[in-house]
Amino acid sequence: MATKRALESRLKLAGVLLILGLLTESVCLLWGQPIAFVFLIGLGGLFVFAGIAVYLLAIASSPTERDQGSS
Amino acid sequence: MPQLAILIIVLALLSAALVAVVTLRPGTTATQSGRILVFIVLFLLPLFTLAMGVNAEIERSKSTKFCLSCHIMEPFGQSLKVDDPTYLAASHYQNHRVPKDEACYTCHTNYAMFGTFKAKLAGFRHVYAYYLTTPPAPEALRLREPFNNRECLHCHLGARSFEQGAMHNADAETLPAVKANKLSCVSSGCHETVHNIAHLKEQKLWSEGN
Repeated sequence: MATKRALESRLKLAGVLLILGLLTESVCLLWGQPIAFVFLIGLGGLFVFAGIAVYLLAIASSPTERDQGSS
Repeated sequence: MPQLAILIIVLALLSAALVAVVTLRPGTTATQSGRILVFIVLFLLPLFTLAMGVNAEIERSKSTKFCLSCHIMEPFGQSLKVDDPTYLAASHYQNHRVPKDEACYTCHTNYAMFGTFKAKLAGFRHVYAYYLTTPPAPEALRLREPFNNRECLHCHLGARSFEQGAMHNADAETLPAVKANKLSCVSSGCHETVHNIAHLKEQKLWSEGN
């Protein structure tokens, strides 16, 4: 139960990071100034990749059904 | 705003909404299909949306409007409208030898492998110089490295006016030297007046409607 809760909290963190990244991307595309390009790559890209990394970490560290069965 | 950018904004907002729904709903990962949905929404969709956004920004950064949006570039933009055919940039722009919407990029990119990537890296340096340092006056701007004939030859190589031009064939050495980048097109006394913004005020400007 505790591991399931940990997985869900990590997924929520990943979700928050991804939402921030996607919103940054939308703002940058709307902005249209040369500096927006830097923000899109530097900030939007960072948030999206961080979100994906947290998500991958969450599923990689969560116990499999076989692990749960053997314990 | 280009339609593609609007489409990507809609896609990004839709992705963000889906991410919110999937992560806030408890027990999404309890079933096999739920786990597949989470993988699509938290991995594939954001990556795809980011790639589309970066691609759209790269395309937009090729536009003449984008380059001229920094005020330091304004005189270079005006030099495209000089009413004098000896001005190289102006004659290319006004006679559609370069696409009007991508005039700066067409000549100032690098037509070698990873050329667009190198041009964008140089663009990042421009952004850094513009926002975080004191940029020089437009008249003091110089190319980072000598202009490579490769960029001219990308279009002119094989063209009749280039291959059979009287000056290019005045002697046997000129044309091979130009093709080998040993004799510069723009700085060896042949096509030297490119933007020449120091003398812009003395020039009559062409207005597009006439």
